[in-house]
Amino acid sequence: MISVDFPASVIRLDNGLTLIHQEIAATPVVVADVWVRAGAIAEPAEWAGMAHFLEHMIFKGTDQLPPGVFDYAIETQGGMTNAATSHDYAHFYITIAADMLPHTLPYLADLLLHAAIPADEFDRERQVVLEEIRQAQDDPDWLGYQAMSELVYQDHPYGRPVLGTAEILQQRSPEEMRCFHQAHYQPDKMTVVITGGIPLEPTIAMVKHAFRGFASPPPCPPAAIAPVPNLPGVRRETLHLPRLEQSRLCMAWLGPGVDQLETAHGLDLLAAILAEGRSSRLVRELREDRQLVQDIGAGFSLQRDCSLFTIQAWLDGDAIDRVEAIVCDRLSELAAQPISDGEIARAKRLLCNDYAFSTEAPGQLAGLYGYYGTVATAEHCLAYVPTLQRYTDEQLRPLASQYLTPLRYVSTILRPA
Amino acid sequence: MTASLLQTPQLHRTVLPNGLTVLVLENPVADIVSARLFIRAGSSAEAHHQAGLVSFLMGLLTKGTETMASMAIAETVESVGASLGTDAAADYSVISLKTVSADFPEIFALAATLLRQPSFPEDEIDLERRLTLQQIRSMQEQPFTLAFNQLRQDIYGHHPYGRPGIGNEATVANLTQADLIAFHRQHIRPDHVVVTIVGRISPEAAQAQVENALGDWSAPPTAPPPLRLPAVTTAATCSRVAQETNQAIVMVGYPAAPVKHPAYAALKLINTYLGNGLSSRLFVELREKRGLAYDVSAFYPTRLGLSKFVAYIGTAPENTATALEGLRTEVDRLRTTVLSDDEIQASKNKLLGQYALGKQTNAQIAQLLGWYEILELGVEYDQQFQDMVAAVTALDIEAVAQEFFHTPYISLLGPEEAIGPVAVAQG
Repeated sequence: MISVDFPASVIRLDNGLTLIHQEIAATPVVVADVWVRAGAIAEPAEWAGMAHFLEHMIFKGTDQLPPGVFDYAIETQGGMTNAATSHDYAHFYITIAADMLPHTLPYLADLLLHAAIPADEFDRERQVVLEEIRQAQDDPDWLGYQAMSELVYQDHPYGRPVLGTAEILQQRSPEEMRCFHQAHYQPDKMTVVITGGIPLEPTIAMVKHAFRGFASPPPCPPAAIAPVPNLPGVRRETLHLPRLEQSRLCMAWLGPGVDQLETAHGLDLLAAILAEGRSSRLVRELREDRQLVQDIGAGFSLQRDCSLFTIQAWLDGDAIDRVEAIVCDRLSELAAQPISDGEIARAKRLLCNDYAFSTEAPGQLAGLYGYYGTVATAEHCLAYVPTLQRYTDEQLRPLASQYLTPLRYVSTILRPA
Repeated sequence: MTASLLQTPQLHRTVLPNGLTVLVLENPVADIVSARLFIRAGSSAEAHHQAGLVSFLMGLLTKGTETMASMAIAETVESVGASLGTDAAADYSVISLKTVSADFPEIFALAATLLRQPSFPEDEIDLERRLTLQQIRSMQEQPFTLAFNQLRQDIYGHHPYGRPGIGNEATVANLTQADLIAFHRQHIRPDHVVVTIVGRISPEAAQAQVENALGDWSAPPTAPPPLRLPAVTTAATCSRVAQETNQAIVMVGYPAAPVKHPAYAALKLINTYLGNGLSSRLFVELREKRGLAYDVSAFYPTRLGLSKFVAYIGTAPENTATALEGLRTEVDRLRTTVLSDDEIQASKNKLLGQYALGKQTNAQIAQLLGWYEILELGVEYDQQFQDMVAAVTALDIEAVAQEFFHTPYISLLGPEEAIGPVAVAQG
């Protein structure tokens, strides 16, 4: 299947692997970004942290490729490589001069398909992941985010930390990880994105050749699937943290998943209207005029099963209750009173330009296609700008009233111990 | 890869009659224009008792002009979905903007007005001060920042590079509108400004817009006194911040060559060898082979004055002594070991390859070109730097390591029972 309107080619190979390619003629750089539907939501609860730990172990080589050889090969050819794991995905990317891709892509494919996960490397790398957890635990914003996630997602796996916990990781074995790897790093769960200075035909040949010989998937404990919860009312939790210099208030609402992208994009607009930039409603009122907060922002994050809408403020502890009440009040107003054309136009311009600004380099483009290709389909990202442009006041306000209600949300408060 | 920006014929450099330098690079690929307005004065130009002044001033540039209030400025930028920000670095300051190409003339003209005619309204000064003081206090929440501030203070003493750019509570509390106006009058002048414009715009159009907005701006008759940075006279120490963190931070630092020093390229190469990427020496030895850390790296910032070379690691508190020993061993090794040709070549490929990858977006190119120009290295430095790196030899590395890597300044942060004994053992 090759799409005509979409600027990239989306190709399903015979083994089920998805390839997304876009040539950018003006650049001498190529990005290869491999996305796997094997994030933290693929884990059984007792294996929490496995997906992220595996991302580390992928770089520990195969029977053909000793540990470190891949990193050395990429970097000494002037390229860069790295990886990231979230709930919905793990992804692995290299950025390199276009003429070096044929020499490096087979290595990346070998790591992803045939990771050896040696026992001694497993033990050593676990120490590294435990250090990563220690570092995160010294970050108050990470602690606040985890507390909020648990409260808002309840039993859904989005509520678990991607890093897992030290206790769980200590109990895991290389055999379990190999099982998880072979079960999930399969062609039907993998999207290879190649963008930059390379034409389509050699790319197809290269990817076909490199991404073959997948192991047959072994039986593996199934993921813990819990439904996306309905928030029954207002849930509030306060954490008292040492070394904290400033309190935080984080209010969170659940939104739709990727099966309702149009609605999700509308919530993106509402976030911009409320708190993106100094002339947005909440920043102007609470930071610039009334000076009740050090800063305030709204965030909307799209995920497969459900999205998350947050409003976060950095403020003095004694302003928390007041600010929370004002935010609730402003959300009621948002749903009840017409939103001016100027505000809607401003939010659209901000988001459409952000989209343009974030697709300038091949790596940014590959990330966008890979993300949409993993949680929905890559072509869906093309609908983002036209969907935003169509929104009117009459369509936005019902979204505010349905999703951003002051009657049902989660509030996580951080205060100095 | 793009070997040099200068080989591309589109780079246009002009100097207006008032001394303002303009660099334009046309890049029609995306419908985006990025621009930078660089000022040849950074935090190092402020007096000790006014620490934080330049950072404060740059923040206030967008908060009012002779004809526009703060909110009107924000509305102008945000209504067209542009981005406009300011920053104060040690050696320079900068206004950055990015727009789709149709909006560029309006937003560039606004940026030029912010640069020339800020009004520093008293109520905005009060708000900015409150926000800045809170930001200073919030640095206490970040272990890495605290450990680094301590190291920098120890290395530089009263030298301006020893202070955090944001200033400290005592100095920021005392900054006044008169201080801002005086600094602006003395340092922000056309012959100390470089404008870079990169993106979908013709050199003629870009040039015309700069002339329109900034051509009639005249420089004051007397030049500001040239920047004289004091000598660094401190001695190596070991300092510690006791905090009940989950991880200890260990840093070793060495005073290191300024950008115009002959050792600069060799030190950049050493930094790459030790600290850059998954195949770097520190990463492989301390993380991959010994599992001591998640974050272990090195950095060597480019400075007009005396710079610093820093290697650091975050590790479990009980590993503090081991991690410190590991960092010191790896740095000291360069004084006594001649690196192999393969190691040198691999590091050069890495440094030059990543340098090229750092020139992918219009904003990155606008930043790099203007930065070289404002440091008075000239845009030719883009090529010169690459040539200098290519010419570094194994013996150069050894000689530079022997010249700069003596007894390190050490900064430790973590639980007292873990770092205290290590600090005491250092004497």
